[in-house]
Amino acid sequence: MNKQGSLIAVVLALLLLLLGLAFFWQPVPAPLGHTERALPGGDFTVDSAQGPVSLHDYAGKLTVLYFGYTYCPDICPTSLNATAEAMQQLTPAELAQLGVLFVSVDPQRDTPARLAEYVRFFHPQMVGATASPATIAEIASRYGVFYARQDVATAGDGYVVDHSAETFLLGRDGRVLERWPHGTSPAAIVDRLRHAF
Amino acid sequence: MKKLAFFVLTLSLSAAALAGAADQVSVDQPYVRLAPPNAPATGAFMRLRNSSEQDVKLLKASNPASRVTELHTHLNDNGVMKMRPVANIEIKAKGEAVLQPGGLHVMLIDLKTPLKEGDVVPVTLSFDDGSEKTVDAPVMRSMAGGMPKMQHGH
Repeated sequence: MNKQGSLIAVVLALLLLLLGLAFFWQPVPAPLGHTERALPGGDFTVDSAQGPVSLHDYAGKLTVLYFGYTYCPDICPTSLNATAEAMQQLTPAELAQLGVLFVSVDPQRDTPARLAEYVRFFHPQMVGATASPATIAEIASRYGVFYARQDVATAGDGYVVDHSAETFLLGRDGRVLERWPHGTSPAAIVDRLRHAF
Repeated sequence: MKKLAFFVLTLSLSAAALAGAADQVSVDQPYVRLAPPNAPATGAFMRLRNSSEQDVKLLKASNPASRVTELHTHLNDNGVMKMRPVANIEIKAKGEAVLQPGGLHVMLIDLKTPLKEGDVVPVTLSFDDGSEKTVDAPVMRSMAGGMPKMQHGH
């Protein structure tokens, strides 16, 4: 092959690569707005300081759902801060169509009263709740949420809880619409909520 | 006499080494995240820049506000965030290490008294050459974007 020929071959190969990338490249993690049909999700009832809260109480609204725990040193505050900042950017009319629920996967330490004080720190409209360990385990399994206690000598009361750090967006019918990875920015959250409203 | 000269040389060399990393590493935007009520711990975040030709390791941090101070990171294991202590935080030659929510951070564990917005926590950083540096980290509400909003005023 002459020099020109090999140059053309290289250019063609690069063009093919570009085309391939344009068609098949999926940014990692999965793009926002990715539909979660595989998750059963569904209704559940947990205990808040104001009494029992069920997902169906939010029927007709969008619900942002997060599983965490109040002793969580970094991940939960980061996620909840992002959600709270997004909420601050919504109009009152939009906020009225939104429920935000923080479910503790650490019912041994998180009482409804403690949870209420915790979520109020982030946004007055957030609701904190938990349930018996068996109920939490059952709900978590339906939402594909993993959590596991890890003993750490220096942690408060001796343990931390590794847990899924995704935020769920549930539709007006309670179905899982999207899962947002940890680190999703407030602007992206606002964008996704407005898209769903 | 030769011995003394050698001693002085050694001493001045070690003094230079002591001044080393702490002088070569600059710390930008240090802050302590305002912890939610009853939180037993919170994180200190900052950007460490190493202007020297050698890699520097941050071995330890300490502060007067908490009983325990540890260096931590987070591992994202399929969406599950796992916080784990690390032995050190490396700052590459001419590089930087970013301590931010969801990643590397200094963990202030078992706070002696709850910290308020506006408090300032002096955080002492100890490097692998024995040098130390103390930075004043103001307590502020964390901004989820990583660095606090206040710092984006440009």
